[in-house]
Amino acid sequence: MTRHPTNGLDETVHQRHRLGILTITAEAKSADFGYLRDALGLTAGNLSRHLTVLEEAGLIEVTKGYEGRRPRTWVSITSEGRTALAAEIATLTELLRPQDRGAPRPPSPVRTGPEPEPEPGPEPGPGPEPEPES
Amino acid sequence: MAEDRGETGGELEEPEKPSAGPGEAAVPVADLLASLRRLRLAARSVRHAYAFPLVLFGLLTLAAMPFYLQSPAPSGGIQILAVRGGQPQFPLLSGSAGPLGSNYNYLGYYWLVALTGGLLATMYWYRYHARKVGLSTEARGYLVTLGVLTGLAVVLPVLSRFPAFGWLSVLWPGDLMIRGTFPFLIIAAALCVLAWAERSLALGAIAAIYLGTALLASLYDIENVLFRLGWNPSPGQWRLTSLPNVLLPALVLLVAGTGVFIAQRRQRRAA
Repeated sequence: MTRHPTNGLDETVHQRHRLGILTITAEAKSADFGYLRDALGLTAGNLSRHLTVLEEAGLIEVTKGYEGRRPRTWVSITSEGRTALAAEIATLTELLRPQDRGAPRPPSPVRTGPEPEPEPGPEPGPGPEPEPES
Repeated sequence: MAEDRGETGGELEEPEKPSAGPGEAAVPVADLLASLRRLRLAARSVRHAYAFPLVLFGLLTLAAMPFYLQSPAPSGGIQILAVRGGQPQFPLLSGSAGPLGSNYNYLGYYWLVALTGGLLATMYWYRYHARKVGLSTEARGYLVTLGVLTGLAVVLPVLSRFPAFGWLSVLWPGDLMIRGTFPFLIIAAALCVLAWAERSLALGAIAAIYLGTALLASLYDIENVLFRLGWNPSPGQWRLTSLPNVLLPALVLLVAGTGVFIAQRRQRRAA
């Protein structure tokens, strides 16, 4: 029996905003928290939640630092993240093919909303805050 | 835009749940892929910062022109290609002694400083640009290529003077270095690596054109074309005849860099 392409979707990755985070970070060496927030149109808290999910899955790395007195958070994709993103895009592309040929749509739509709500844990999200520079 | 966001350490403290709820309408796969493509292209456009090294090395090449002036022709117009002042210090950077007369050693020192300074300036530029726009480029390969090739160009000729390393002289690129234009090839190699890092077809095309120009300048006296076009230098202008080999690669970099800068500026304003 042929395996349906939807079986290849990764629950962690295929949420729309998380896919966006992975896509942007795969395009650069690292992306600033503010750039991701603006590009994806998310609130800081919301983005932070998604970053936590991705970081816990080992798909991204979060680095906190300071520029002068200003804290900045940089996000970079891991090799596992690149692999997961490539697999996800390949699966999504595969899902498109039957539609292109006029075949029936896949049995379930691709979920673009969030995964189960992240547990309300202690803030902040990924990684410890660095000490301010003296 | 991404500048001056004024983030604080509190950016992660809002106990919100992700915005899209289970009831949110599913995005069709084609739309999702299209939006991801838009995100990727927008990020790439913002991240691109290669206009600066193009303009920088174009200006550094222009600034080298005084060192490429030929020695004054003796009366009678006969150019004597004599070795003056012994062996060049950095033959890969300065070329072999010849029409440049005693300038060649200065040219070697100039390129050593210019390439090293260009490397440091580009490194600083990429850091500054990353902080400004919020996306950083993996420019390490470009910097390593520029640094290693410059280092080799300095070290290998010095090493080859020792009997144990005399065999290194077979590595010299022969005709590619006699006009003192080998630094152009170092820059071209670094730009090719940068095009890969920037994932830019435009920079790849610019690097290929520049490489072709650098090879032409290294292997051919471009002033011959000007002679055919009617330039008949007076004895006083004879010193300038080696400059077309420098001017052409410099113009390629300057025109390309300026064009890219203007195009990127327009693109970002439109976004």
